[in-house]
Amino acid sequence: MKRTVLAAAFAAALLSPAAADAEVRILACEPEWAALAEEIGGEDVTVHSATHGRQDAHYIRARPSLIAKVRRAKILFCSGADLETGWLPVLLERGGGRIVQPGQPGHIMAADHVQVLERPEVVDRSLGDIHPGGNPHVHLDPRNIAVLAEVLAGRLEQVDPERADAYRQRLASFQARWADAMAGWRERAAALRGMKVIVYHKAWVYLLRWAELDRVAVLERVSGVPPTASHLVEVLQQVRNSGARAILRAPFDPDDASEWLSGKTGIPAVELPFTVGGRPEATDLFSLFDSTLALLEEARDRS
Amino acid sequence: MRNIAGFVRMAAIGLPFLFAVSAAEAQSGPPTAEELAAQINALKQDYEKRIAALEAQIAAMKAKPPAAAGKAAPAARISRRTGDNSFNPAIGIVLNAMYSEYSEDSSGLPGFQLGHESERPDEGLALGHSELTMSGNVDDKFRGNLTLGLGAHENETEIELEEAYIQTLAGSGMPDGVRLKAGRALWTFGYLNEQHAHADDFSDRPLPYRAFLDGSYNDDGAELSIVLPGDLYKEIGGGVFRGGDMPFGGSETGREAYSAYVRLGGDLTADSALRVGAYVLDGEAVNRAGGDPHGHEEEGEHAEGEEEEEGHEEEHAEYFSNGSFAGDTRLFGVDFRYTYAPTGNARERELILQGEYFRRSEAGDYTLTEEHCADPGDENEDGVIDGGETAHGHDVCEMEAETARLNGDASGWYAQAVYKFMPRWRAGIRYARLTPPDDAELEDDDLSTVSAMLDWTNSEFGRVRFQYNRESFGEERDDQFILQYVMSLGAHGAHSF
Repeated sequence: MKRTVLAAAFAAALLSPAAADAEVRILACEPEWAALAEEIGGEDVTVHSATHGRQDAHYIRARPSLIAKVRRAKILFCSGADLETGWLPVLLERGGGRIVQPGQPGHIMAADHVQVLERPEVVDRSLGDIHPGGNPHVHLDPRNIAVLAEVLAGRLEQVDPERADAYRQRLASFQARWADAMAGWRERAAALRGMKVIVYHKAWVYLLRWAELDRVAVLERVSGVPPTASHLVEVLQQVRNSGARAILRAPFDPDDASEWLSGKTGIPAVELPFTVGGRPEATDLFSLFDSTLALLEEARDRS
Repeated sequence: MRNIAGFVRMAAIGLPFLFAVSAAEAQSGPPTAEELAAQINALKQDYEKRIAALEAQIAAMKAKPPAAAGKAAPAARISRRTGDNSFNPAIGIVLNAMYSEYSEDSSGLPGFQLGHESERPDEGLALGHSELTMSGNVDDKFRGNLTLGLGAHENETEIELEEAYIQTLAGSGMPDGVRLKAGRALWTFGYLNEQHAHADDFSDRPLPYRAFLDGSYNDDGAELSIVLPGDLYKEIGGGVFRGGDMPFGGSETGREAYSAYVRLGGDLTADSALRVGAYVLDGEAVNRAGGDPHGHEEEGEHAEGEEEEEGHEEEHAEYFSNGSFAGDTRLFGVDFRYTYAPTGNARERELILQGEYFRRSEAGDYTLTEEHCADPGDENEDGVIDGGETAHGHDVCEMEAETARLNGDASGWYAQAVYKFMPRWRAGIRYARLTPPDDAELEDDDLSTVSAMLDWTNSEFGRVRFQYNRESFGEERDDQFILQYVMSLGAHGAHSF
C-alpha cells in the first residue's frame, strides 16, 4: 500500500509540468552574454552564466548543475565557433530541451551572427587548439554587442511573445545608451590607434581590430599550449625594439610568461578584464569596455 | 546593401559639418573663441554619437551577408565531394600502449571469477585497448554510435564490439530531458562504467570493477533516463538487458537483467561541484562462466597445486575463482565525484575526489568442472609430451562437474584523489579493497591495492602516465609498474562531468 502511494506520488511529481515559470530562464555560456541578457531581459528573465569572469570557457566541465540549468532554459546564449565544444554538447544531449537545440529560437551562438575573424585555412591538431569556426571571442568588439542585443531581443520576442513590448523597449534603451558609450570609447580608442601590443593568447583580435591596435607578437606559439622557454627567448628578440607598449593577457591566462617578458623588456604586463567580472571594476558591459580602455591608456602612459 | 550603408555613413559624416557651418554663420555677432570651442565640442560629441549609432546599424546589416558568405564559402569548397561522403559519421581513434613490470608471475582475484577484461595487461611492452569510434546523427530523431575495441593478447588480435547503440536526440518528440538508448552500450552504473577505459584517471580499473563487472558492464539492452526539472540536478533511469555480460552470463530468455538508478548533483561553490548516485543491477545469471579460457587453465593449474598441499582450505575458493555460477545476482552501488578548482580555472589546478562502493548479493549454485585423468598419466609425465597430450585429451581424461550451493555475497570499494598541480601535470592516489564471499573460506580475507600515478597531458588529446600498484592479498604482494600513453585523434567527444 505504502509503495503504491509512494509510486503514485513519484509519478505525479514526474508527470506534472514544472509549476508555470513566471520568467524566461536564460543560460549564458559566458558572463558577457549573461550581462547582455540582463540588459535586454530585465526582470522578465532569470539569467545564469555557466562560467565566471576568471574561468576559461574552453575548459570547464559539464557540471551536473549546468545540465539542470540547460534543462529548464528557454534560451541558450553562447559564443559558439567551437569555444564550448568540450562541454556544451554534453549539456545539450543530457539536459537540453527542444527549444535550445541548434536551429531552434532558443539557441543563440554569437559567432553565427557577426563576422568571424581568423577562420583557419588549415585545420590540424599539431597547430594546437584551433577553432575551425574561427576566433570565437567576438564580444570584445562593442559593435558586435549591439548586433547580438538585436538578435537576443528578437529571440526573446519569439520565445515569450507576451512580453515582446518590454523586450523591445529595453532593447531601444540599451541601444541608445550603448551608442552613447561607443561614441566615448571611439574617441578614446582613436587616441590609442596604432599602439603596439603583445598578447598572450589570440583572444583579443576583435578588440585589436576595433581599436586599431597593432599586434606585434603572441606569447603562445601553439594556441592553447603554454609557451616554451626557447619560444619566449625568440619573442624577446623580436619585441625588444618593436616599440610595443603593453603585454596583454586575460585573467585566466597564466601570468608567468608575460611577467617574465615584462621584467626583461620593461613593457608593462596588463591583465585586462576580458569579460564581465574579469576584474572587480568590470561589473557590466559598459564598465568592461571602460576599464579595458582605461588599462590600455594607463599602459600607454606608463611606457 | 553595401551602397546604402556607404551612403548612410557619408551622410552621417557630411551632414553635421554642413550643419556646423550654417549654425556658426547664423550666430549674431562675432562669437568668442570659447563659444566657438564649446560649440565645436558639442557638435563633435553629437556627431560621434550619431556615427556610433550608425556604425552599430551598419555592423548589424553587414553581419548578415558575411555570415551567409561564410557559410557559402565552405559549401563551395566541399562541392566536389560526392553526396554520400558528406554525411560520413565522425571518426575517432584512441591509441593506447603500455610497458608493465610485475613482481609476481601471475595475478588473480582470490574468491572471484577473473574475467577476460579484468586480467592485468601482458608484462613488458604491450598494446592496450585501441578504440575506433564512429558516430553521427541518423536523422532528426536518432543518433548512432559504434565503438570497436581492438586489442592484442598473446599474439592474437582481438576485436571486441564495445558499443553499438542508438539514442534519441533531444527534440525528437520525447519529453524534454528524456532519453532512450538501445543496443549495446556502457550502461549507467556507478561513475566509471559509462566512460571508456582510456578516459580513466588510472591505467587500470579499480578492484571492484574488475571483480564484479569484468571491467565494465556493456550488455545488450535498452535504457531510459530522465533528467527531472529543478535547480538541483536529478536524474533517474532504468533499463532492461539481455544478461549476457558479467555480472550475468549465458542468457536464456534474452531478457534476464534490470537496472535502476538515481543521481543528484549540483555546485557547492562557484568552483566546486558534487555528484552522487545510487544504482542497482538485478538479474539472473544462467551460466556465468569463470572467465577466459587461457586464464582459466593457468589459474586452474596454479590453484590445483595449492589444493593438494592445503587440502580443503582452498576448495571453496576454487568454486568462486574457476567455477561457473547459475542463479540470481544483484549488484548494488553508490558513487560520488567531487571536483574543485582552487583558482576558479580547472585548466590550471584541480582536485578531483571520487569513490564507489559495490555490494553483490547472490542466491544460486557454483559448478566446478575439472578434468580428471586416469593412471596412464604416469607414462605421459615420463616425457612423451606430444603423443601424451593426444592420449591425455582423447582417451584417458574425463570432465567431472561438481555443484555446490554457496553464498556469493561480497563487496568492494575504492576511493581516489587526483590533483592537477601544474597546467599539464597531475598526480593521483587510489586505494581499493575487495571482500570476497565468506563461503570462499579464504584465510586471508581481503584483497587490496594501493596505487599512485603521475601523468603529463600535453594537450586534451595526448597523455603519458606512470603508475605504481601494490596489490596485497595476505602475505602475497605484487608490485606493478606501468608506463602508458593514451592518445586520441579525430573526433573527440565532449567529456561528461
